[in-house]
Amino acid sequence: MVILQATKIYKTYGNKLNKTEVLSALDLEVNKGEFVSIMGASGSGKTTLLNVLSSIDRVSQGTISIEGQNINAMKEKQMAEFRKRHLGFIFQDYNLLDTLTVKENILLPLSVQKVAKKRANEMFHAVSEDLGIADIADKYPNEISGGQKQRTSAARAFIHDPSIIFADEPTGALDSKAASDLLNKLSDLNTKRNASIVMVTHDPLAASFSERVVFIKDGQIYTQLYKGEQTRTEFFNDIIKTQGVLGGVQHDS
Amino acid sequence: MTVNRLIFRNIKKNFKHYYVYIFALVFSVALYFSFMTLQFDPALDDTTGGVKGAAAIKTGSVLLIFIVSVFLVYANNLFIKRRSKEIGLFQLIGMTKGTVFHILSVENLVLYVGSLIVGIFLGFSMSRLLMMILFKVTGIQDVATLRFSSEAFVQTLVVFAAIYILILLMNAVFIRRQSILSLFRVATVTQQRLKKMTALQAILGVFGIGLILFGYYLSSQLFSGMFLGNQFFVVMIAILASVIIGTYLFYKGSVSFIFNIIRKRKNGYLNVNDVLSLSSIMFRMKSNSLLLMIITTLSALSIALLSLSYISYYSVEKMVEKNIPADFSILTEHGAEFVQALEKEGIANSYETIDLLNFQVDLSEVLSMSAEEGNSLFSFADTTMLVISDQVVEQLDVAETEVYLANQSDFLNNLMHIQEQGMIVFTGEEYVYKLAYKGMEDLTVLPARATGAFPVAIVDQSIYQQMLADKDVELSTEFSQYTGVTITNREDIERADTIFHALDIDIWAGNESKYEEKMIQKQGIGVIMFIVGFLGLAFLITSGCILYFKQMDESEDEKANYTILRKLGYTQTDLLKGVQHKQLFNFGIPLVVGLCHSYFAVKSGWFLFGTEMLTPMLIVMAIYTALYSIFGMLSVLNYKRVIKEAL
Ligand SMILES: Nc1ncnc2c1ncn2[C@@H]1O[C@H](COP(=O)(O)OP(=O)(O)OP(=O)(O)O)[C@@H](O)[C@H]1O
Ligand SMILES: [Mg+2]
Repeated sequence: MVILQATKIYKTYGNKLNKTEVLSALDLEVNKGEFVSIMGASGSGKTTLLNVLSSIDRVSQGTISIEGQNINAMKEKQMAEFRKRHLGFIFQDYNLLDTLTVKENILLPLSVQKVAKKRANEMFHAVSEDLGIADIADKYPNEISGGQKQRTSAARAFIHDPSIIFADEPTGALDSKAASDLLNKLSDLNTKRNASIVMVTHDPLAASFSERVVFIKDGQIYTQLYKGEQTRTEFFNDIIKTQGVLGGVQHDS
Repeated sequence: MTVNRLIFRNIKKNFKHYYVYIFALVFSVALYFSFMTLQFDPALDDTTGGVKGAAAIKTGSVLLIFIVSVFLVYANNLFIKRRSKEIGLFQLIGMTKGTVFHILSVENLVLYVGSLIVGIFLGFSMSRLLMMILFKVTGIQDVATLRFSSEAFVQTLVVFAAIYILILLMNAVFIRRQSILSLFRVATVTQQRLKKMTALQAILGVFGIGLILFGYYLSSQLFSGMFLGNQFFVVMIAILASVIIGTYLFYKGSVSFIFNIIRKRKNGYLNVNDVLSLSSIMFRMKSNSLLLMIITTLSALSIALLSLSYISYYSVEKMVEKNIPADFSILTEHGAEFVQALEKEGIANSYETIDLLNFQVDLSEVLSMSAEEGNSLFSFADTTMLVISDQVVEQLDVAETEVYLANQSDFLNNLMHIQEQGMIVFTGEEYVYKLAYKGMEDLTVLPARATGAFPVAIVDQSIYQQMLADKDVELSTEFSQYTGVTITNREDIERADTIFHALDIDIWAGNESKYEEKMIQKQGIGVIMFIVGFLGLAFLITSGCILYFKQMDESEDEKANYTILRKLGYTQTDLLKGVQHKQLFNFGIPLVVGLCHSYFAVKSGWFLFGTEMLTPMLIVMAIYTALYSIFGMLSVLNYKRVIKEAL
């Protein structure tokens, strides 16, 4: 079942005189429970794509529908409501609230859904144990490291069991151990809860956790790789090969 | 690029940050200069009516310097904080602290000179308007013409040069103290740790509330006769200190403590309202408590001052009415002469003549001082008072064994206790008259000039005759007879007043024209009210602006937060609701506490200023609250814009 569908989307920045077209006529489908990675050179429009897919930004042209609903037609309020309940975000630049502690940041999505406090606490413990941030729960964002911020951001994206998770380089600031913990967590959510995941990454290893890798170039899909029956290592090698062909950045992490 | 070019570029590029600062500067200059222009204007000499008015203006100008300095220092602090990243960057690329300081100083100089020019121009136009208002409240008919006063100009230059130097010093200290790293982090540093909340804070908070209550208690005792002479001044300072310090501790302790408990109980589980109000306020609690204290004090001070001055203005009529019962009050033997003159001019009038009988009296059963130990020089058991017959008081028929008191004054009422009943004992040459006290009548029979603001006894005509025959000739009074002339038609008053002056009756001590007295009082109080009103408004605008700037600054700081929250799926309405809560706190708390403070301040001494407390005070409070709320609403509008732009 297709949960997310983008057809012929365009995104341009700037005014008439000084226009940059970042996405041009891009088509993308994500099935329910699918784990998709998006790769491409820096500045190729990955974050932009994620933003429009997740309704944070509007497309210039084209349609995007989530669960059959056209989000271009949605009112701001509906869209916000949808994001709050069904989507989870791990942002490239973490997007934590300075004024809140780590725990408060993570619990934020739950307060919307009126989850009982006790239950919320249990959920927090589970997710913070998984991501290894239990002992910084009472610290403020400016007191923790970049990697810890990233994990906090991830914990916030997971805690309310969203049906789609958008992750923008979720492992960029993590060492390999923390990165694979996070990726395992993502895979877990993907398999156990059947959550769809759209992840932007530069790291072929991270991409190899997913079922499909979409390569972006010049605002369009350059090619796609399916994992299919391959092992992760085989898939990883495939990805590296494609990256080489793409000629953009070599894997840089 | 030379340093000078860099400076110029900076100003151009950062104009958005500058405009608040420039506004503060121009506003301050205009305020100060217009006040100074008034002070040095010769036309004001007529209105101020001498030393008292001049002193009031002097005091006002000193207070004004104080307000303006606080305001500019605060605006500068915000300004430099906003630019701390830039300052850090300058240093990062290799500028010395000295160069950075140089850049800031020159920049400030440019801003100051520009603002001075604009501000003086605005201030000059403003003072004309002020002059018109002043003439209006004092009832002077004159055309408001103004000349450009060079004294005012020089004075303004001197004051702002001094403030400029003060601000340079503060900037120097700021740059010196900060490391590059801390400059980059100024905006994001938490001012309060969640964990480090201790019992100490609770104790501080309780202590603060205690101090405030103690200050209130002292203020209620201030005029009870407990304190005399020098003590009085000391107690006043003590009240101020304990209330101000108490307020600070209250914010620092209680408010943080309560917030902290709430937040702890939430156990990390905050809704969007909490995120935008609770945690955001706590995040800046350290600077908030100081700021809130300043705002509270400013508000309390200005509400109290405005209330007191309005009470006096409001009470002028009543006060004069109370002090002078008839239109013309003549205590010399010129009463008949005046009445004749009025008849000759065909001015209808009625008059009554009362012989003033002063009698030895023991009032101790009925009246006593409020405080246990009163003034040792005065005793209610052994004093004198004026006695009149019930015949001159139409409303009253007094029995032979009874006595009423009249001519009560608010001033005395506050200093003494009146019993429900008791005996009043008059002692004459030969007899003693023991009369039952029946009550204090709300009547003014004799002018305050004759009674010395002391009550008057009303007895039965027959008793009065006896007492008159039995009077102690030693107890002569300053005045022996009172003639009260009442003009029948209001429109004749002015003519009657002219006659009163033409006959030179007014030169005798004790003779008063109610009409003239009202004019004089209104003029004197009008000037004072105008100055206090001006200052009050300046306080109001300054504190409103400070809060508004602060909120503007916070909204910039938190813009990123709004972006995140909106990305996570909160709507603008959600966010705005949270922000409104925060505004309610930031603007509401200092207002409520300030109103409370000013209520007690006014209550402690209002009777020195007038005869009516509640109505004028409530009017002032209502107007103040309304004007003040405007800043709150502006702030919400600003947040609305920022939130809207956030995504
Ligand atoms: N708000 C914006 N206004 C104008 N141009 C923008 C804006 N955001 C992004 N761009 C431009 O769009 C292009 C794509 O940006 P995007 O952030 O999507 O890249 P990315 O693929 O995520 O890169 P990276 O891997 O470095 O994160 C870039 O050239 C960028 O300059
Ligand atoms: Mg990106």
